[in-house]
Amino acid sequence: MTNAFVAAFEILSFGAIIVLIVLGLGIIASMMGIFNFAQGEFVLLGAYITYLAYAKGLPIWTGMVAAPFLVGALGFVLEALIIRRFYAAPIVAMLGTYALGLIIRESVRGLIGGFYLTVPEPIGGSIDIGSMHISAWRFTIIVITLLVMVGCYLLLSRTSFGLRMRATLENPSLARASGISTPLMYGATFAFGSALAGLAGALIVPVFSLYADLGIRFLIQGFVAVMVGGVGSFIGPVAGAGVIGTLSAALPWVMAPVVADVLVFVLAIAFIKFRPQGLIAGKGV
Amino acid sequence: MGAAKQAVHADVGDETDVSVTESAPIKRSSVRKVLPIVEGVVLIAALLAPLVLQDYLTVFATRVIILALFALSFDLVWGYAGIMSFGQALFFGSAGYGVALLARDLDITNILLVLPAGTIIGLTFALLLGGFLLLGRHPSSVIFVSLGTLTGSYAADRLARGWYYLGGQNGIPSISSMTLGGYEFSEGPAFYYLVLGILVVVYLLCRFLVRSQFGLALAGLRENEQRIAFFGYKAQHLKAIIFAIGGAIAGLAGSLYAFHEGFVWPNMVGVVVSTQVVLYVLFGGSGTLIGAVIGAVIVEGVSFWLSDNYRDIWPIILGLLLLLVILFRPLGLISFVLGERERVGSFGATRKEKQNAP
Repeated sequence: MTNAFVAAFEILSFGAIIVLIVLGLGIIASMMGIFNFAQGEFVLLGAYITYLAYAKGLPIWTGMVAAPFLVGALGFVLEALIIRRFYAAPIVAMLGTYALGLIIRESVRGLIGGFYLTVPEPIGGSIDIGSMHISAWRFTIIVITLLVMVGCYLLLSRTSFGLRMRATLENPSLARASGISTPLMYGATFAFGSALAGLAGALIVPVFSLYADLGIRFLIQGFVAVMVGGVGSFIGPVAGAGVIGTLSAALPWVMAPVVADVLVFVLAIAFIKFRPQGLIAGKGV
Repeated sequence: MGAAKQAVHADVGDETDVSVTESAPIKRSSVRKVLPIVEGVVLIAALLAPLVLQDYLTVFATRVIILALFALSFDLVWGYAGIMSFGQALFFGSAGYGVALLARDLDITNILLVLPAGTIIGLTFALLLGGFLLLGRHPSSVIFVSLGTLTGSYAADRLARGWYYLGGQNGIPSISSMTLGGYEFSEGPAFYYLVLGILVVVYLLCRFLVRSQFGLALAGLRENEQRIAFFGYKAQHLKAIIFAIGGAIAGLAGSLYAFHEGFVWPNMVGVVVSTQVVLYVLFGGSGTLIGAVIGAVIVEGVSFWLSDNYRDIWPIILGLLLLLVILFRPLGLISFVLGERERVGSFGATRKEKQNAP
């Protein structure tokens, strides 16, 4: 019983982490049609900013709060300077964002060296339920992920900003004709997606510690999750991330980790092949 | 937008054709000569290199030639057919692992066996992956194919890392040398010329392929897939065929690489090498075979030259250069010397001449 509970918690918390990382990726992919290869590096930057705050002696919370804003601002600038040129060509966008990611990753590698740097958990210790102990920080991540998910959903479905964002996605020329500044909306969307990546990085760095390839590790899982969920909506990628995160955390409990690792990808690709529109098809929120 | 661009291209092409055939056939032959010159210069430089270079540089040059062969395979797939294969290393590395296992477990190192074996392994994997990703009732989107190949490569990397039989993280070390009868190909000029010979043969075959009717259909596929489909070509089959050919060449390169380096390790099937080959081709110029070769030589050469002093910042510079190339020189460095017309080839013109001649 205890074991099963611990396993369930592990699976849930890993699923939450994947959802958190995929949120930004999914918003950019769905709303802008760009598969952002630099997203992993935005996660890395968020983690790095948190580490910097910790290394400077500031409370870790300040780093975690600053990370999404700083990474979001960087995203906005990059969109205006570079990403904007790629909208017509998705493959070129992949290559361009890959180059961006390479620059960011190697710069961070130069700054931190080849080390694994640890950042302590801002909420340490464990929550005890009877005889079971679960990590307080992982629990916090789950809660924050839920809050962010709900927040994003409300932002996209209930606010005028979200309405304009979706309008720009569905029909750019009509949106422009209606007086919506589409370049600004694209910039804002990209910045928002980057900010979510920064937040994800800031939150997961105590769990995974900081190293230069932190982002890469999640990038491909993220892409697969977005494809499984279905590009074009907000809910799709989140659902896909839930499925992929849960599968990749759950399968190692029942089979050899190596096989599980590969099996998740094979299953996902096969699923996308036979259902290209993903779990949740159609445009919407 | 793609269609509009296509139309513009077609118009321009027609105009030049007409004007050239009518007024100045001499001018054309003088315009058309850049590509053979570039190819000739590269070949001569490659032939003379071991005479000038020191021994350890010849070893390095051999590696570059093998990587150029690998770049050629990616260029066929991306530069000609417009399939973004982010998993080209899957074929390169699996062939490397395959021949390494042949050498380790079965003690087969005969060059006449291992190179075909590597090629077939690459071909098989490419047929399986390409068949799955590209064929089917619904045509796959470019994004699906690129992410599918990327995922395949990543999954193979994880598998190689975790599988004890394949040596796990360390890969398979100390593979014995390739042999031909009693002769052992160890690193050095002999190996260099062997690899160069293979590169030249493969290059010529590819050149013949892309200048054939098949290559013309491929170029059309890259520019506008729908239009090629409307012409009655089976676009998916064409793609699967070129993907398999690319995989076979990558497999050949991978088996040479395994024997040259003497070991294989998980990175060889993974995303790192997959993206490396993308870099070569983008730098050199996709859609020209020689561009892929030049790109591999330049990227590897500069990286080798810089690595002593600037090892840390070289990847950053590489990223910046790549970004600049993508933004401002989408056709790669080769486009500084090579015009657009020559890049595409001269199918229509030659046929027109033949018709007019008699």
